[in-house]
Amino acid sequence: MRQVRVSLFACVVMAGFLLSQVATGDDIADHAHKLHFSSIVLDTHDDTTQRFFSKSFDIGKRNPDGHIDIPRMREGGMNAIFFSIWIDGRTMGPPAVQKALDQIDAVHENVNKYSKDFAFCRTAEEVRRAHAQGKIAALIGVEGGHMIGNDIRVLRMFGDLGVRYMTLSHFYNDEWADSSTDKPVHNGLTDFGKDIVREMNRQGIMVDISHVSDKTFYDALEVSKAPLIASHSSCRALCNHPRDMSDDMIKALAAKGGVIQINYEKSFIDQAYKDASDKFSGGVVAMMDTLKKECGDNEECLNKKMTEMADKATAEGKLPHVSWERIIEHIDHAAKLAGADHVGLGSDFDGANMPEGMDDCTHLPQITEALMRKGYSDDDIRKILGGNLLRVMEQTERVSREMRAAQ
Amino acid sequence: MARLRVAACLLAGMILAGAMAADGISERANRLHFSSLVIDTHDDTTQRFLDGGFDLAARNPLGSIDIPRMREGGLGAIFFSIWMPSKITGPEAVKRALDQFDAVREEVRKHSNHLVLVTTVEGIQEAHRHGKIAALIGVEGGHMIASDLSVLRVYASLGARYMTLTHSGNAEWADSSTAFPEHNGLTEFGKDVIREMNRLGMIVDISHVSDKTFADVLEISRAPVFASHSDCRAICDAPRNMSDDMIRALGAKGGVIQINYHVGFLSQEFRNAEKAHPEWNKAIALEVRRRCGEREGCQLIEGDRITREYVMRGDLPRVEWTKIIDHIDHAVKIAGIDHVGLGSDFDGANMPFGMEDASKLPKITQALLEKGYSEGDVKKILGENTLRVMAQVERVSHEMNAAN
Repeated sequence: MRQVRVSLFACVVMAGFLLSQVATGDDIADHAHKLHFSSIVLDTHDDTTQRFFSKSFDIGKRNPDGHIDIPRMREGGMNAIFFSIWIDGRTMGPPAVQKALDQIDAVHENVNKYSKDFAFCRTAEEVRRAHAQGKIAALIGVEGGHMIGNDIRVLRMFGDLGVRYMTLSHFYNDEWADSSTDKPVHNGLTDFGKDIVREMNRQGIMVDISHVSDKTFYDALEVSKAPLIASHSSCRALCNHPRDMSDDMIKALAAKGGVIQINYEKSFIDQAYKDASDKFSGGVVAMMDTLKKECGDNEECLNKKMTEMADKATAEGKLPHVSWERIIEHIDHAAKLAGADHVGLGSDFDGANMPEGMDDCTHLPQITEALMRKGYSDDDIRKILGGNLLRVMEQTERVSREMRAAQ
Repeated sequence: MARLRVAACLLAGMILAGAMAADGISERANRLHFSSLVIDTHDDTTQRFLDGGFDLAARNPLGSIDIPRMREGGLGAIFFSIWMPSKITGPEAVKRALDQFDAVREEVRKHSNHLVLVTTVEGIQEAHRHGKIAALIGVEGGHMIASDLSVLRVYASLGARYMTLTHSGNAEWADSSTAFPEHNGLTEFGKDVIREMNRLGMIVDISHVSDKTFADVLEISRAPVFASHSDCRAICDAPRNMSDDMIRALGAKGGVIQINYHVGFLSQEFRNAEKAHPEWNKAIALEVRRRCGEREGCQLIEGDRITREYVMRGDLPRVEWTKIIDHIDHAVKIAGIDHVGLGSDFDGANMPFGMEDASKLPKITQALLEKGYSEGDVKKILGENTLRVMAQVERVSHEMNAAN
């Protein structure tokens, strides 16, 4: 009798368990919402920094345009953000250094101004602490090696000012690294470029291989003692763009413990859009060049015009529609290829053309729900949302400590 | 363990002190000196870091500053100066300044068993308690911010705790004492710079600036200001020095004049001889170039050496270190004991005889005691006055940030 009761109880538990496995659509939505809003949702690439120089932009208020501000980050459950320091890759030397400092300062000033919402973070541990306190972790990435003025001392000062990753190049080659969208001149990394990677390791600055040429990527992979990140790149197997990563590259990146942070830019995630865009504007670099004539050095204007131009062309049927679900396809492709430990999110918000349905960061919970529907486990989803990147940060910190201790 | 280490340090200091009896330092002076926090607000040693080939941990035959000699002289806190000629401006100046910040920070990291980079009064005191030398950073010349408040803030983030508003030439927003005035003191932007320095908790340094710039600063600054390395015009009438009225006004606002050991600012006789023979300065500059090329650290140290050769030949007058005491004593008489400190200009100027390097600092303590200064007064001059200004600057910064 007792045994029967026990097995009956087991049966009920089992049924409940099975029910939870075949939950209704609403249950998934509910569970996804809970998972999303209890996770560290970390985005490694946001060009919002450019907007800090515009008088009309206030990150503390809800803005009618752009993709990022505190109210919308709260709404989208985005609680860790890398503000990108970026200037055109053809500005080099001391002027590039000073402009980069202006932007680093702008990030710090805005974080200080909204210190109730933001906590400036330099380590994975600090990101976790910020999250525990209900704050948004603010971090800094430098998007382009041209901003160090070919000077390893400047790199170290960027590190001391809180820079936690540096993309080795932007659209153009810099003095020591080839870009994926420029004619190669260095055959990847120069010897000085390799010294830069080693110094980044020593300083605990993550090496970012988004934007760099394939050869630069493989050189960096060979030299770096710490895992690498692609802060905002997608998969070439789905959209054959030089800015994206081939399957071989993604596998090699993962084999060294790295992470590909999927970029939401339409021309990097959708082949049809990329092809049409190449015909329409000669590709992303040529388009930026055209707009630069209109906007000068005003980067906010540049991003705005770029979006306007793309939206208009789409409305006129010159460019195809791209759904936000393409983002999920890229995440899924990279995860299937390299494992769920090696994929993350690097939106390119406020610096790229967003696909339909990912109009700003309030839409981020959709990613969690879509992954759940695809059968991803809670653990894997948490990793993709931010855990993987924090793991790379921790490993980078460990390598830094080891290198300093060995000196 | 920490206490043991401190005790060992004190013991080592005392043994060293005993060995210096040749300099005529009394036991009382030694005890006082090595139990005091001795702060020097201006040292150009940074240039030597950049030249390369300089080891701060080794006793160097040239120059005035290294760890062994700082230990021997009981120097407890040092401001490493970030400096380049005023003619370098804009982004180029910014990048070069970053190089120097890095040089100081790397050097401190390299010798972390002796040095620790600090930015606050609390930091200095804690370093001292642990038997370490507190390293701080001062930016010598507003031209290095390239008229950009963001750059100023970045310097503060990297550890700069004072900025001298100009060097020998005018900055874009402030007149220097040694250039033709262009701005009638501070421009409007210059006043914004002062307010921002107040907010950031950086000490406003009025060494090098014109009298009008100084007056403007006193009016604008909410925190006391200091002269990181200046002397008294009443004794040596150089524009780089301060008039009695200026010293009095500085003191009335709670500030401090940190006495500079450069012979050309200490001695009227030396200054007159230099002015009478401008060709010597040119010849010295030429010889310095020949020996050093572009290496700034070498230039500063060789300049001192060659000047000494002129003195030994009898061309330039010999200036004794006791002139430093004359200036300290004069400033104390004018502004009071709470408003005088030490800003040597080591490794960046021509040192008087008997004050060749940091190991000679206990002589200042000895001389002040001999002059009848109380032990408490001597401690103020050696460092407490500077700490008080720093504390007030920190308080103003907290208040301004809280009000924002």
